[in-house]
Amino acid sequence: MDMKKIQHDFPILSKEIKGKKIVYFDNACMSLKPRQVIEAMDEYYYEYPACAGRSHHKLGEIVTQKVKEARISIARFINANENEIIFTRNTTEGINLLANSFDFKAGDIVLATDKEHNSNLVPWQALVKKKGIKHQIIRSKEDGTFDLDSYNENINGVKLVAMVLTSNLDGTTIPAKEIIRTAHEHGALVFLDAAQGVAHQKVDVKDLDVDFLAFSGHKMLGPTGTGVFYAKHDLLETLESFMVGGNTVEYSTYTDYKMLKAPEKFEAGLQDYAGIIGLGEAVKYLEAVGFDSIKKQEYELNKYITDEISRWQKIKIIGPGDPALRSGIISFYIDGVDMHQFALMLDEMSNVMIRSGQHCVHSWFNDKKIYNSARVSLYFYNTLEEAKIFIEGINKIMKII
Amino acid sequence: MICIVALIIFSVLGIFSATHRQMAKEALDCVFRRVTLRPCNTGFKEKIKSQMVAKLLNRSAFLARAFNRYYEVFAWIFFVLMIVSTFYVVKGGYNYYLYGSCNGLNQSGFCAFDPKGENNKVTEINASCGIEEKSEKNVSLDGVDLSSFPTKQVDSKDTVVLVGCYECDYTRKAYPDIQKLVREKKTNYIFAHYPAKENTNFLSEIGYCVYKEYGDRFWSFNDYLFTVDKVEIYQSEYINTILKNFDFDISKINDCVNDSATKEAVTNQVNQLRKTHLYGTPTVFINGKAFVGPKPYRVYKSVLNKFIIF
Repeated sequence: MDMKKIQHDFPILSKEIKGKKIVYFDNACMSLKPRQVIEAMDEYYYEYPACAGRSHHKLGEIVTQKVKEARISIARFINANENEIIFTRNTTEGINLLANSFDFKAGDIVLATDKEHNSNLVPWQALVKKKGIKHQIIRSKEDGTFDLDSYNENINGVKLVAMVLTSNLDGTTIPAKEIIRTAHEHGALVFLDAAQGVAHQKVDVKDLDVDFLAFSGHKMLGPTGTGVFYAKHDLLETLESFMVGGNTVEYSTYTDYKMLKAPEKFEAGLQDYAGIIGLGEAVKYLEAVGFDSIKKQEYELNKYITDEISRWQKIKIIGPGDPALRSGIISFYIDGVDMHQFALMLDEMSNVMIRSGQHCVHSWFNDKKIYNSARVSLYFYNTLEEAKIFIEGINKIMKII
Repeated sequence: MICIVALIIFSVLGIFSATHRQMAKEALDCVFRRVTLRPCNTGFKEKIKSQMVAKLLNRSAFLARAFNRYYEVFAWIFFVLMIVSTFYVVKGGYNYYLYGSCNGLNQSGFCAFDPKGENNKVTEINASCGIEEKSEKNVSLDGVDLSSFPTKQVDSKDTVVLVGCYECDYTRKAYPDIQKLVREKKTNYIFAHYPAKENTNFLSEIGYCVYKEYGDRFWSFNDYLFTVDKVEIYQSEYINTILKNFDFDISKINDCVNDSATKEAVTNQVNQLRKTHLYGTPTVFINGKAFVGPKPYRVYKSVLNKFIIF
C-alpha cells in the first residue's frame, strides 16, 4: 500500500487542530471519506442534480445510469446480484426492514450472539413484545470468541439466526460459513449484521450462502445516511414491503395498487442519489486498495498497540488476547476509571480520537457489570506513527492513574 | 462543585466567545440537574476534568496526578475562591455604583470599572497647607464655619458644599454635576473656593467681594470662571475684563479687594477650610459626607435619593 497516497486521498488527515495532526481511531463508528467519494457526491449536485428512474430527460437519465452503476458495483462488492441490493439509510434500517417484513409468527425463535449492537437487538426484542417471537442468546466463550458448541446445541427449531458478523465491541468475527451451513441444515435462515464486517474483510454472500445481510455506507468510506440490505432474490420476493409509497408501485387506482418487484418495492420515496453514487465510489476505492492490504495494515497496528498497552497490567482488553482475532479493534477498560475521561484526555493531549462508552452494546456491559470501555478502531489509512502517538498518550495517562 | 464554577466562568467568557457559550449551556444543564436532585450525567464534569488534567499532563505529570487524584478537593477550593471573589466583585460593583470606586468611598486602589482612577483624582493641596494625613476619614465639616462663603438657601433639608478651585481640572470636571445636583434636587448650596495651587488666591478675594457686593449675581460669575479657558483666569488683568462683561463696578470690586477686612475675611475662610482636613480638590460635602475627587453624577445623586437609585 502506498500510505502517502492513501493519506493524501483523505483530506481530513492533512488538517490540524491546535497545531497538531489528528489521529483518528474511531473508524468502527465512522470511517473517514476519501476525496473520490466526496467528489462523486459533489459531481451529482453540480452536474446532474435530478431524479433517477422517474424522469426521462437528459439529467434524469444520467442519474438513473449513475445509480444503476453504483448498485452494480455494490452487488459485485459482496458478490450479489444487482436485484438483490436494496438501498437503505443504514444497517439499522436494513434490520428493521427484515424484522418488519419477514413473516414471523408467535413462538418463532430468533437466535443472536451476546454482543449484538442495539440495532440487531432491539428490533427483535420489539418483535418479542409485538408478535410473541422468542429471542435467544448464544453466549460467547470466556475469551470472547463464538461458542459453536453452544450454537449447535441451540439451533434446533430456530426460525432465523440474526448475528453480528464482526463485533463492534471487541472486533471478533463469528465463523459465519459454519454457522450458516448448520442453520440451513436445521431449516433456519440467517441474517448477518455486516456493518463492521464488509469494511474490513471480503464478504461473499454466495460463498457464505447467507440469506440476508445488511451494512452501512458510513463505516466503509461511504457517505452517512447510506446503507444496503441484501437478500437472496427468491427470499426477497417473499418479504412484505416495510415502507410503501412513491417508487414502490407499478400503478395505483383510487382503490388499489400493484407493487413493483424487488428491489424497487423496498425503496420507497426519493432516494439519496448523491449518497448512493458516493457509496458506489467508496466500494471501488476499497476494491482498489484490496482487503489483503487492509487486513495486513490493521493487524500490524493492532498487534503493536496490543503489545504496548499489555505492558500495563491495569488495562484489560475486551475479547481475545490475539490481535489477529480482533480485526482492527482494541476495546479496553481499567477498573475504577471512567473511560470517557480517558478518551477525552487523549483527545485533549494529542488529538487522538477514540470512542468511549458502551458502544451501543449496553446489554453486554450490563451483563458483565462493566461501566464502560475505550475503543480503538483502526482502518487501513492509519499509520504506525499515529499508533505511537496514541501509545505515548496512554503511557502518560497511565502514570497518573 | 465544578459545574457551578464552570457555569459562572464560562458565562462570563461566553460573552465574548461562542465556544464558551456552549460550555456555559452544558454547565447550566449540569447545575440544573444537580439543583433538581438528579445526577449530572451529561459528561460535562468528565469533559472539564479531562481537559484540565490533559493540559497539566503536557506540562507536569506530578501536577496532573495530584489534580486527578484530588480533583474534588480542588473543585471545592475553586468553589470557595469563586464565592469569595464573587462577593468582592459584587461588593466592588456596589461600591463603584455608590461611590465611584470599587474600593469604597474616596478609596483610590485599583478598580476594574475605573482603571485609571478618574473618579478619585484630585488636585492635591500644597504641602505648605499643612495637611496632616491624606485620609478621607479626617475630612469633615465638624467645627467649620461656612457662613462667610457664597450660599444658596432654599430651605432644603439637604446641603451641598463644594470646595474647589477655579484652575483645577478635577473641580472643573465635577462642577457641572454639582450644579445639576443642586438644581434637580433643590438643595442648599455653599461654594468655597480653595486655591489648591495658590495661583488663584486673588480669585478668592474677588469672589468674596462679588458675592458681598452683588449677592446672587455671584453665581453666574462663578459659573463663568469654571467654564472659561483656564489660561484666562491665571492672569489677573483679564479678570477686570470679565468683571466688566458681567457689568460689575470694577473700582468698587477693587476697593473691596484692597480692603484689609477682605483680606482678613478670605484668610479666615481658608483657615476654616483647612479645619476640614481636606487634601485635594474637589471635595464635596453632601449633608456632611465627604466625596473627594470628581465622582460620577449618580454617586452624588444616590446620597440624596430616597432609595439609592431613585
